[in-house]
Amino acid sequence: MPSTRRSESLAGLVGLGALGIAGLLIAVALPPAPTAPRYAGAGHETPQRGGTFVFHHEADVRGFDPHIAFDELSNMGIKLMYEGLIDYDRDTLELVPRLAEAVPEPSEDGRTYRFRLRADIRFADHVVFCEDPETAPRPCPGRPITAEDVRWSLEHMLATSTGSPGVTFFELIEGVEAYREGEASHVSGIRVLDERTVEMQLLRADQTFLFAMAMTFAYPVAHEAYEVYGDDVARHPVGTGAYILERWEPGVQLDFVRNPSFFIEGQPYVDRMVYILNLSRQAAVMRFRNGEIDHIHRQTPADYRLLKSYPAWEPYRLEEPKVNIWGIGMNCELAPFDNRHMRRAVAFALNTERWKRARAGRLLLSGQPIPRPLPGFDPDLPGQHHFDLDVAREEMRLAGYPDGYPEPLTLTMSDGETARFYGELVQQDLRAIGIEIEIRQISFPIWLQQTGTRRTVLMALQGWSMDYPDAANFLDILFHSRSIHETDSENKAFYSNPEVDRLLDAARVERDRPTRLGMYREASRIIVDDAPWGFTFSDLAMEMWQPYVHNYRPNPVWSNFFRDVWLDLPRRRVALWERAPTRSVPALTPFGGRP
Amino acid sequence: MIELVIKRVSAGLLIVLAATTFIFFLANGIGDPALATLGPNASAESLEDFRRTHGLDQPPLVQFGRYLGAAVQGDLGRSFRDNQPVATVIWDRLPRTVLLMGMAMGFELLFGLTLGILAALRRNTWFDTGFMGMAFLGISVPNFVSGPIFLLVFAFLLGWFPIGGYGVDFGDHVWHALLPALTMAIIGSSTFARIMRSEMIDTLGADYVRTARAKGLHPARVVLGHAARNALLPIVTLLGLRLPFLVAGAIITEHIFAWPGMGRLVIESITSLDVPVIMGVVVITAVSVQFGNGLADVAVGALDPRVRHARS
Repeated sequence: MPSTRRSESLAGLVGLGALGIAGLLIAVALPPAPTAPRYAGAGHETPQRGGTFVFHHEADVRGFDPHIAFDELSNMGIKLMYEGLIDYDRDTLELVPRLAEAVPEPSEDGRTYRFRLRADIRFADHVVFCEDPETAPRPCPGRPITAEDVRWSLEHMLATSTGSPGVTFFELIEGVEAYREGEASHVSGIRVLDERTVEMQLLRADQTFLFAMAMTFAYPVAHEAYEVYGDDVARHPVGTGAYILERWEPGVQLDFVRNPSFFIEGQPYVDRMVYILNLSRQAAVMRFRNGEIDHIHRQTPADYRLLKSYPAWEPYRLEEPKVNIWGIGMNCELAPFDNRHMRRAVAFALNTERWKRARAGRLLLSGQPIPRPLPGFDPDLPGQHHFDLDVAREEMRLAGYPDGYPEPLTLTMSDGETARFYGELVQQDLRAIGIEIEIRQISFPIWLQQTGTRRTVLMALQGWSMDYPDAANFLDILFHSRSIHETDSENKAFYSNPEVDRLLDAARVERDRPTRLGMYREASRIIVDDAPWGFTFSDLAMEMWQPYVHNYRPNPVWSNFFRDVWLDLPRRRVALWERAPTRSVPALTPFGGRP
Repeated sequence: MIELVIKRVSAGLLIVLAATTFIFFLANGIGDPALATLGPNASAESLEDFRRTHGLDQPPLVQFGRYLGAAVQGDLGRSFRDNQPVATVIWDRLPRTVLLMGMAMGFELLFGLTLGILAALRRNTWFDTGFMGMAFLGISVPNFVSGPIFLLVFAFLLGWFPIGGYGVDFGDHVWHALLPALTMAIIGSSTFARIMRSEMIDTLGADYVRTARAKGLHPARVVLGHAARNALLPIVTLLGLRLPFLVAGAIITEHIFAWPGMGRLVIESITSLDVPVIMGVVVITAVSVQFGNGLADVAVGALDPRVRHARS
């Protein structure tokens, strides 16, 4: 009926008009968004004790079993509650002692390491240390940690029944295989010498062993907790760290309080840590600007540009490269990428400068396999990949395809818009040298499965993030022929070069650091030359914190690691931006010390 | 009436079974949960162990049979991710989503019915055209657009509501749920308003309403007691049909407003291929939607004798 249609279109018009007017009114009447921090510190120069530090993640935490967890957001909590024998120095990435008295020197043959525990370390107080944990009304004092705990913890992590993803890093310890196959009740290479000394015997010398010992998989745990809670232990962490888990509201929030028996006198500084879960990036940024949370680590592109444009925030933000690499992996066993020139053509045709502009500058371009923050990275590495159409065209000619490759090639990547975005950039770049790309997107688990299977995927968008801060973690895993398997290959380019293998094996045992780094540089040079990947970039991440948060700097190994922060309290409202506080208080429990 | 209930229950059970079957094979077909759970660095042996421990090395039909057998006894299995019983994982989240959806539905009815009735009474006036126009717009704007805008304007800039989250106690939960519930309610209340308006226009012109007016009844009683009551029938049916949309809306809204309910859970479970949790959420959602729809059907039957007789 015409009249109804007329009234409906009139209704639509009126609706749009109303929306326009409402939009205008809102734009005029709304208070301006703050462009500067809302709170500043009190002005103390020296570390202060007290207060509540509030941080967040956009996902939900799995649990806090250091032997199982292998993700950023679990580690954010694990690093508050547990300590390892050794850890990394934030700035130099050198190993430093924590629960151990010193970082052990390897024996003459490089196969034996002896760890000596500090004398003053106890587990945090917990009901698992009571005679009857089920009925205990309050926590009992934690017992001192012994060398036996170190052995028990490693053996527990290595046990087949635990299902730890960390086993790979410890397979070099003598007797692990027999232990995992049930032929031995203990790992023969882990020996308790006395109350505080434990010795590890390796199958062969390996300079990366100490890095494995600094991973959370090697953290000592209290066997009592595993006996009491069984499968549920991830929800009842008992460690030797600076904080104790006080409360866990699933999917909402975790509260940590200071561990009074922490072994470093006067630390930690902050009384309470509040870890908010499931908070979306947008909401987190709003809360941060409101002064409700103290740190943010991920932003939407729009928020990123906005926050970067505020000069008042400048001293409280830092943009650092993540220790990861991204690139286009090409299967060296499949035509046409069994031809080295074809791979090099692709590597030099990728216009990564353009990629960087398209990502608002949030990429650190890098044409080599070792990420910039790691020792072994060489800014002047000869032959590293960069955009050069002339080189790319010349390589196409050498490959025998001066007029382009006759058939379209398939680029496989996991799902998601970002992957697609890069896929399209590759597609455009390679068209310039006459290669047509067909994009194929699949779910991440399938991507993992297929790219790890031999002679299956021709080219793929590849990335690797650090497990421990050493070049071996990138080169050995991604480019050693030992990492090629029929399925579940880590060397997903199926690249094999005996010279690279030889260098990597030699570097693995070399004790002289400069010589060792030289070997990694040489391996890098050969890899870049052979181009199993077109190396492109590392991610840049921007972190921001409130002006009253001190002693925080992004840590290349541990994301969002807040153990050592202190708060310059009482914080005071900056007069620039006065507004009544909202009712939104992120904590479940009364804030107490928080002003 | 009893026959209607029996028919509805058996149809509901069949649909739940079909949904379970479909999702089970879909979830197990899209990837390897072992790889998704243990990550890219897991060794081949630990992957094998994982598959063996969780029965993933069995043929799919055997796995499905086992799952169904356990599920009918109330055992939904354990989460791959954190080894918690699925029932516990879901039970942590379910009441939160129910609260959010309940409030959203409350707002939908409150705004939808009120505006629908008022628009019908002031038919073809500027009020009518204006509000129906807004309703038109309301149906067209998806949650993922209105949610962030509401959050920015009403929570961040104006400070009237909290910036997402869940709160401390029940009163605080309700307070935190207000803005997301309003976001979710926009589409529903717009739908209800439009339907209520057209139903009201029909019933207001009906003979029995004219008779009621002629008898000299109070106009409010005529409108609410006679016209609106009869106009409500399609709304009751629609209420049942709204449930699946509310569930879908909750998934997006919970993400935007950091509301820790089932919606968030299902996204996390899908990305980590936590098949037992995905299955648990699907089974429980399917059962609740069937229950809601069934309840609406039965309610319509109870309210309208014609439906009852036509079906029996």
